[in-house]
Amino acid sequence: MKCKKLTALLLTAAMTASVLVGCGGTQESTSTGGSEPAETPGGGQNETAESSDGGSKDIIDFTMFIAMPGSEINDGNEIQEIIAQKTGVRVKETWLTGQTAAEAVGTIIAGGEYPDFIDGGDGQMALYDAGALVAWDDYLDKYPNLKEMYSDEEWDRFRQADGKIYWANIFQNTYGETKATTHNDEAFWIQAKVLAWDNYPKIETLDQYFDLLERYAAANPTMEDGTEVIPYTILCEDWRYFCIENAGQFLDGYPNDGSVIVNTDTMKIEDYNTSETTHEYFQKLNEEYQKGMVDHEFATQTYDEYIAKLSTGRVLGMCDQWWDFAFTVNDVFKQQGLDLQGCNYVPLGLTIEEGMDNMWHTYGDTQNVANGVAITTSCKDVDAAFKFLNDILDQEIHDLRFWGIEGVDYLVDDEGLYYRTEDMRMQCANTEYKASHLCVYSYLPQYLGTSRDGKNAMQVPEQTSEFFSGLAQPLVDCFNAYGVTTYVEMIGSVNKETGPWFPMYSYSNNMTTETPGGVAWAKMGEIKHEWLPKVVMSDSFDTTWEQYMKAYEECSPQDFLSEMQEELDRRAGQ
Amino acid sequence: MSRGRKQAKQKITWKEVKRQKVLLIWSALFVIYGFIFYYLPLGGWIMAFQNYKPRDGLLHSKFIGLDKFKFLFGDASFIRVIRNTLAMGTINLVTSFIMAILFAILLNEVRWVLGKKMVQTISYLPHFLSWIIVTGILHDALSSTGIVNEVLMNLGIIDKQINFFAHEGYFWPIVAFSNLWKETGWNAIIYLAAITAIDPSLYEAASIDGAGRWAKIKYITLPGIKPTIIILLLMNVGNVLNAGFEVQYLLGNGLVQKVSQTIDIYVLNWGISQNDYSLGTAAGIFKSAVSIFLIVIANRIAKHSGEESLF
Amino acid sequence: MKRKKSVSDWIFVICNTIFMVAFVIITLYPVLNTLAISFNDGIDAVRGGIHLIPRKFTWQNYYTVLHKQNMITGAYITVLRTIIGTLLALVTNALLAFIVSRKRFLFKSQLSLFWVITMYVNGGLIPVFLLYKNLHLTGTFWVYVVPGAVSAFNMLVLRTYMIGLPDSLEESAQLDGAGYMTIFVKIISPLCKPVYATVALFVAVGQWNSWFDAMLYNRMSDKYTTLQYELMKLLSSVMQQSGSADSMRNSSNSITPASIRAAATIATMLPIVCLYPFLQRYFVTGLTIGGVKE
Repeated sequence: MKCKKLTALLLTAAMTASVLVGCGGTQESTSTGGSEPAETPGGGQNETAESSDGGSKDIIDFTMFIAMPGSEINDGNEIQEIIAQKTGVRVKETWLTGQTAAEAVGTIIAGGEYPDFIDGGDGQMALYDAGALVAWDDYLDKYPNLKEMYSDEEWDRFRQADGKIYWANIFQNTYGETKATTHNDEAFWIQAKVLAWDNYPKIETLDQYFDLLERYAAANPTMEDGTEVIPYTILCEDWRYFCIENAGQFLDGYPNDGSVIVNTDTMKIEDYNTSETTHEYFQKLNEEYQKGMVDHEFATQTYDEYIAKLSTGRVLGMCDQWWDFAFTVNDVFKQQGLDLQGCNYVPLGLTIEEGMDNMWHTYGDTQNVANGVAITTSCKDVDAAFKFLNDILDQEIHDLRFWGIEGVDYLVDDEGLYYRTEDMRMQCANTEYKASHLCVYSYLPQYLGTSRDGKNAMQVPEQTSEFFSGLAQPLVDCFNAYGVTTYVEMIGSVNKETGPWFPMYSYSNNMTTETPGGVAWAKMGEIKHEWLPKVVMSDSFDTTWEQYMKAYEECSPQDFLSEMQEELDRRAGQ
Repeated sequence: MSRGRKQAKQKITWKEVKRQKVLLIWSALFVIYGFIFYYLPLGGWIMAFQNYKPRDGLLHSKFIGLDKFKFLFGDASFIRVIRNTLAMGTINLVTSFIMAILFAILLNEVRWVLGKKMVQTISYLPHFLSWIIVTGILHDALSSTGIVNEVLMNLGIIDKQINFFAHEGYFWPIVAFSNLWKETGWNAIIYLAAITAIDPSLYEAASIDGAGRWAKIKYITLPGIKPTIIILLLMNVGNVLNAGFEVQYLLGNGLVQKVSQTIDIYVLNWGISQNDYSLGTAAGIFKSAVSIFLIVIANRIAKHSGEESLF
Repeated sequence: MKRKKSVSDWIFVICNTIFMVAFVIITLYPVLNTLAISFNDGIDAVRGGIHLIPRKFTWQNYYTVLHKQNMITGAYITVLRTIIGTLLALVTNALLAFIVSRKRFLFKSQLSLFWVITMYVNGGLIPVFLLYKNLHLTGTFWVYVVPGAVSAFNMLVLRTYMIGLPDSLEESAQLDGAGYMTIFVKIISPLCKPVYATVALFVAVGQWNSWFDAMLYNRMSDKYTTLQYELMKLLSSVMQQSGSADSMRNSSNSITPASIRAAATIATMLPIVCLYPFLQRYFVTGLTIGGVKE
């Protein structure tokens, strides 16, 4: 009998509920709280919604879909509201969740209703193909801030097949002088304490690097707490396998074109996978693996396991991109006090032979033309949208976005320099605070480099004082010993301008299996995933290398290279 | 248990139709619903014969005939992923079936009601964990310092740690185990429900006859849940090509990719991430065809041996 | 019902107990491990090595999860879709199962086949999206409950059970002049409680856990967001299945820690697990419907 009552209860609940929902379809139901933009079925456009809560008048609510994972901010976010008051526009960002960018964009195109702004990520070309984007050419001249983002030559690189500009990539765009202090790229990293142990030797080549690791590991087989050290590890998981894959190009002194080397003397595409240097590099890894210097589980570790290993401070060195490990690992080091033991990693600009120039660090901006922020044909007020992109580049708004509110998120000293107190830093790293207070609009136009006031950095991490305040003593000692002040100086790359084709990966990333080159590229990736770890772990390196090369040739890499050559010619000729 | 036989002959007469009016009206509604929600979207299969571009949509994309199928079956790695999928699908099917039934029957034999309820509640909890959590724990347990290597070393079974994820031979068993781990309790629910339908007086009569536990399981419980077993088996036979995606993706690595990649992973690599929707559809059609072929065969076998059948 | 146990019975009981204990330990471990991580400091958890006890205890992860915006809306919609979706699916599937389990029904084989096929065919993401859009289901609540209202799997489970019921019930009721609907409601359904409970559980758990439909069909609006979708958004940066260096390079923030993922898992698991005891009585106690089998 009891169950009968329960059923009755559930039924009543369901019916009441369904009545509520039934109403919600047509009327604006206020039960969900907050000021939400009026929404129409299917997402996309909302009619110019002046949800007149809070007395804010004439604020246009735009929507934006970003085909990358990211964290949402709350409705009613404080800085978002301030920006809305100042610019008259509020943008609600929605991020990629549990789908690939191409899938998400594919569904949006099929539905035919777009958000006002979109960054399609890997699906950007599909949006252009579908005619979903508004051309910028007629608007650009009206909006000086926006126009100023790139030089004419740079803008031209965004032009599509029909000669028009549809989007702008917003990252790595420096205003004024660069303020970069961290080497946000790939390098061979080594713990500061290892360098200190050997009295800060000059490490220039791969051989010297491994020699130092070997000697250190022999002398200090365990850490202070008794954990065994791992001299070197390599991450090979999925797309992160660049940690094993592309060192060859850098060791030869080339910059990160990603998939190929561009020989600037001959203007020819070269394949680093088969180069002598890459061969030597893998031979070295194999040798070290046999000596027990390389983590025996490197080939099967997941990213989480890799980060966990680095976080314990056991790993003396590895090859990786800064952004792939540093943010998480440095936080743990700090919390555990490992930074004071000199566990932090410093970059080494290694080359295959002594005395070569290295280009691990790219000084100029890397302009990735493959995707960026775009305005869609569903946008209800294109002029307002462009005006907003223009307005948020104003220094005042830019400071609000990246620094926060003066007095709350940062202070200004007598010389006009911005700084944060330790409490502010903690607060700004807090997840809830980020969601309710900070509004970066991270996929809308922005700058790195120097603020228009000529003193401060556009973004907090590049502010010199912020950089030094976070630096542990062993790192300071290390930098001093080498006579440098920043990571960038530490790696000591030559400041050589990259050509207009740079980076070539912006082309290969967008290749599809429709062309023979794209097929070859995908196959090469698969073969490398399988063979590179095998080569390192092999008992007889030469045989395995030959087998690998044979499998590699079967993918007909030539198809890929010749398509890259065409693109290089096109880019260089422009 | 002989209901397979007599159903075959049923003449459609006007009288019978009138008698079953209510049933017929309702089934017509169900057919309409099913047609709209399940069969209408199959129009999308046309994509497999087109070079589908979101810009042109389903109606205007370029027709390319069987090119996508030719691409699939001309690619040695597609043949390999079919093999992997079939192998993992079959292993998972067999092991998860046996384990779920075994667990349900053994649990039914637990006489302590509270204990029984507790065990059952616990057993189905892993179903709520995501694969990323389960595979993370598994990776931990199987690492060189993990519990499995530790136990094997201490027992003296091995003298050197095994890197389980580096050998192709271990991959399928690991996948099968993770499926069992996560889903056994959940899969057993349906059998537990079927067991409750068995008349308790049968057990009592058997006890009086002096039947032991094994005898009761063999002659009462198993026959009692046989229809459920057969139906689920038939349904799952059609699912062997749906061996999954996430587990293999999360547990796999470059060294074992030859045995770890399934059809779904292949479609992701060669279709979706290349902006090629047609390839995935073609692979989907292939999977559907195989599934339907398999269940028709299985169903016929079941029918012929007088068992429960799907249709 | 039994007095004395034979030796083999004793052996059986002992083996069975050992099996159950081992089983419980193995299945409980991942859950306890998740629980431990959910109470552990996020940064500390990155180092790994947490098994059953948190190393650095904190409530912070639960705080973060529960303070995610739209959690109230999400919970409301999720509860709603679970209740409505379950009731609707139960009624429709049971009715369909009832129809195809009638011995005399003229098209039972054809109708079954019609539904069996639906389990193995799939038009794909985009055609389904277009269909729902044209039916004006996108952007509404109904997209959560209407498309899945009938599923062949649940129908077949119900049908198998109903076929197992004695024919004599239907025949004698018909002699009394009862129509099919009366037989369905008054005679068959009361006997089907265990299987109804099973199917209700399947549907309810499915409804509770689903988030993909919320993401796909209600992407740009928060009005019909669900609990699981909100949590997926929170976790999306770690769930990322195919990443690209370019997006990571620029995201400049650390990934969502595993401890938040654990807290989110536990937080969403609890309510649905609490539903279980209510349904469990129907399929564990094992003495419900005596004497109805032929």
